[in-house]
Amino acid sequence: MIKTTEEQISIPMVVNVPYEFAAGEYLTRGLSELRDNGKFYAVKCPKCQRVQLPPRIVCAVCHVKNDAWVELGQEGTLVGFTIMFIPMTDPTTGKPHEPPFAYGSVRLDGATSVLDHFLHVEPDMEKIWVGMRFKLVLRPKAERIGDLSDVMYFEPLPGQKRPGRTN
Amino acid sequence: MDETKTYPPFLVNQRIKANSLYYAGKMGSIFYVNLRDNETIVGVHCPKCNKNFWPPRLSCTKCFSELTETVEIGPYGTVETFTQVNYAEPVHPRKAPFVYGVIKLDGADGGITHFIDEVDIGEIAIGMRVKPVFAKDKKGIILDIKYFKPI
Repeated sequence: MIKTTEEQISIPMVVNVPYEFAAGEYLTRGLSELRDNGKFYAVKCPKCQRVQLPPRIVCAVCHVKNDAWVELGQEGTLVGFTIMFIPMTDPTTGKPHEPPFAYGSVRLDGATSVLDHFLHVEPDMEKIWVGMRFKLVLRPKAERIGDLSDVMYFEPLPGQKRPGRTN
Repeated sequence: MDETKTYPPFLVNQRIKANSLYYAGKMGSIFYVNLRDNETIVGVHCPKCNKNFWPPRLSCTKCFSELTETVEIGPYGTVETFTQVNYAEPVHPRKAPFVYGVIKLDGADGGITHFIDEVDIGEIAIGMRVKPVFAKDKKGIILDIKYFKPI
């Protein structure tokens, strides 16, 4: 006897794939410096002068070999941001990040590329703006493993006022 | 920065983990409810092509007509092909070594992949007759059939 049903079945699925990759010569240098010394290093293209982060052997635009290393500042400027109202799953843990929270792209001083990370500010459109200055907040050295989770978030520099507003 | 400094090769440990819910659909829900509540295996019949699909689906893969005629299939079946997995991968629902087989249930025109257990790999053969072993605590998932074993 086949039972008819109005019940709708949903099946929980988990994709869980651990993997590792060899960082290669340039990324090894970049990630090792982040883990051991808390510094971000980028490479400068000899042709277009772009300062590329993460560091890679070949310039993504000119396809020439990068060989100049640049230490980036610990501070940077916000170039874009979003406020998340749905829980964004962190693919490295499978756990959601509790909304609402601010997430943004910060151009570290000296870089052409941007670095995307959490912004440690109140998730309010009135209190975040493009051009806002942030500084990197890293995990304590003992906890760093050499990937972007070594950065906890970007912290806004104190005493900033949103431009173009009088009140 | 010291340009002569050397860096030992760096292996980056990463993980992709994503949780999701897969909606089984109208026909899939009938399949899973019957499996969970009655230990009945449901397929679907296409009268035009005279084929029985398992798992059941709402449209025929050949003539695209809508399928409504559910049929009970199995529970006995035949091993169409099989392999032993010796290498543990996180994507597998079981620890290696174990045997995967494609089982064609009696009355169905296609087979699906499932485990074959309670038998040595050397004794499994294509054409061997098997029957399902159902899980005690059923959840409405395909692992409500724990595995197939020889009759």
